[in-house]
Amino acid sequence: MRSRVAVVGGVSDGLALHLGWEPRSVRVLFVALSAAGGAGALLYLWLWALVPLQPSDENEPVARSAPVAAIAIAAAGVSTMVVLSIAGADAVLGWLVTVATAASLAVVWELAFDRTDPTRSQRYRLGVRFTAVGLLLIAGVAALLSRPSALAAIVGVGMIVIAVGVLVAPFVVQLWADLMGQRAARVRELQRAEIAAHLHDSVLQTLALIQNRAGASSEVARIARAQERELRDWLFTGDAAVVADLAASLRDIAAQIELDYPARLEVVAAGVAVPANSVLVAAAREAMLNAARHAGGTVSVYLESSEGAIDVFVRDRGPGVDLANLPADRLGIRESIIGRMTRAGGTGTVRRTPTGTEVHLHLEAAS
Amino acid sequence: MTTVVIVDDHSIFRSGLRADLADDLEVLGEADSVATALVLLGTVSPDVVLLDVHLPDGTGADVIAGAPGPRYLALSVSDSAEDVVGVIRAGARGYITKGSSGADVSAAVRAVAGGDAVFSPRLAGFVLDAFGAVAGESASSAEELDRLSAREQEVMRLIARGYAYKEVASELFISIKTVETHVSAVLRKLQLSSRHELTAWALERKLL
Repeated sequence: MRSRVAVVGGVSDGLALHLGWEPRSVRVLFVALSAAGGAGALLYLWLWALVPLQPSDENEPVARSAPVAAIAIAAAGVSTMVVLSIAGADAVLGWLVTVATAASLAVVWELAFDRTDPTRSQRYRLGVRFTAVGLLLIAGVAALLSRPSALAAIVGVGMIVIAVGVLVAPFVVQLWADLMGQRAARVRELQRAEIAAHLHDSVLQTLALIQNRAGASSEVARIARAQERELRDWLFTGDAAVVADLAASLRDIAAQIELDYPARLEVVAAGVAVPANSVLVAAAREAMLNAARHAGGTVSVYLESSEGAIDVFVRDRGPGVDLANLPADRLGIRESIIGRMTRAGGTGTVRRTPTGTEVHLHLEAAS
Repeated sequence: MTTVVIVDDHSIFRSGLRADLADDLEVLGEADSVATALVLLGTVSPDVVLLDVHLPDGTGADVIAGAPGPRYLALSVSDSAEDVVGVIRAGARGYITKGSSGADVSAAVRAVAGGDAVFSPRLAGFVLDAFGAVAGESASSAEELDRLSAREQEVMRLIARGYAYKEVASELFISIKTVETHVSAVLRKLQLSSRHELTAWALERKLL
């Protein structure tokens, strides 16, 4: 396995780990072998290509500590200086090839590896790219201006073409990556739609049936309902970023309460989406909890939010509470609902009807 | 005796529903697809058809379009507004979720058979939203299709809050019959209105 925190390719680290050696001695061996006709370098590249990368859960990018692109740029720079100083001499062709190779290597490395490497800054990458372009252009023009030999002219033009290519390449690479990403996203979306359609038709039906047959307040029905909720969330909310929206918060609370109490909480929301207000959420939670605990059965939660105000109604069909006769230690309604809302500048009212109790929370929008 | 036909592609659900329906409802037959439903509805004429929104060879709306005779009550596991509005606009008189108990379904069937509309709290909430009632829009004349009257809004709000028709009536000091009239008026608006929010969904579902 090649290490994800590497100097160049992570080959030496991996090999050292495999052989039980020091990474340093493996590196020395590679360098020594490279001196012997480049065998070490070839072996290194061969291992790099064949040894798999260490797997990681989050697919985190590989961090490489050796600035290979910068080294290549430095080599290209030195070669360019040589070209400029001995322009016209016979040796020029070899140096031109060196400039082209080193500069291209730098850019390829930058595009292939540094793009995803968290240790490389944007500035470093732009620096590599533009220096490579500059060196290629200088060397190319120098070759064209030197003694007009056909070969030098061809190489010079070739270098200028490469320079332009280097300028354009990053955009092409980016475009390609985007395209692939989009295609993958589309395939995922399609797959999810298919699964959703299938689950919708079969699993949700079965869960609905279980709830129906088992009776609304039984353990089985509660589990089935919790499952249904989870599945629905996954099916219909999709990948859209989950904003801490008030309606969503109330639904979450309803789902939690349903797990703990034999009640069925139906949350209906109308109006504009508003951010979850912590006071309102806490008070509504208390009201829903009370309804589920003392009344059970079906609890209706209705949220209406306009630009001006937010109203939450929690209605149950239980025997109801009489605020006046409530013992002092039952702080639930008085403190957590009414007191809380009053302190936040809203109102909380509890109303008893012949068929149940309704808590009404009202909050004017802060202006 | 109210006669019923069940159209749903899940046999378990059909038999479960059949067993759960009250005794005064007679099931004339079952169908599991748009095609078989249309064949069945050609031979029997029930008072109410319990209709699944999604069928293997089409939608509930296709059944309504093919056999417009009986009254339809839509049943679905989906509670998304688009599904509900689609089938209501196609002509269904009401909508309930499949999680509803046998007693609830039976009551809804009777209401639909009697010519009333059946609104779940969720549908009421959606109607308030779609007709701009939350934003304060209100119809000035009874003929206006694109907005709800103040009274209709009150009724819809109470239904959204979980009130039954009877409770709505006592809350507003009106008769149940009046509540039903308001709900039917809202249903008509839901079916006929050309409000942008509604037509957008209808267009998306290729209903127009």
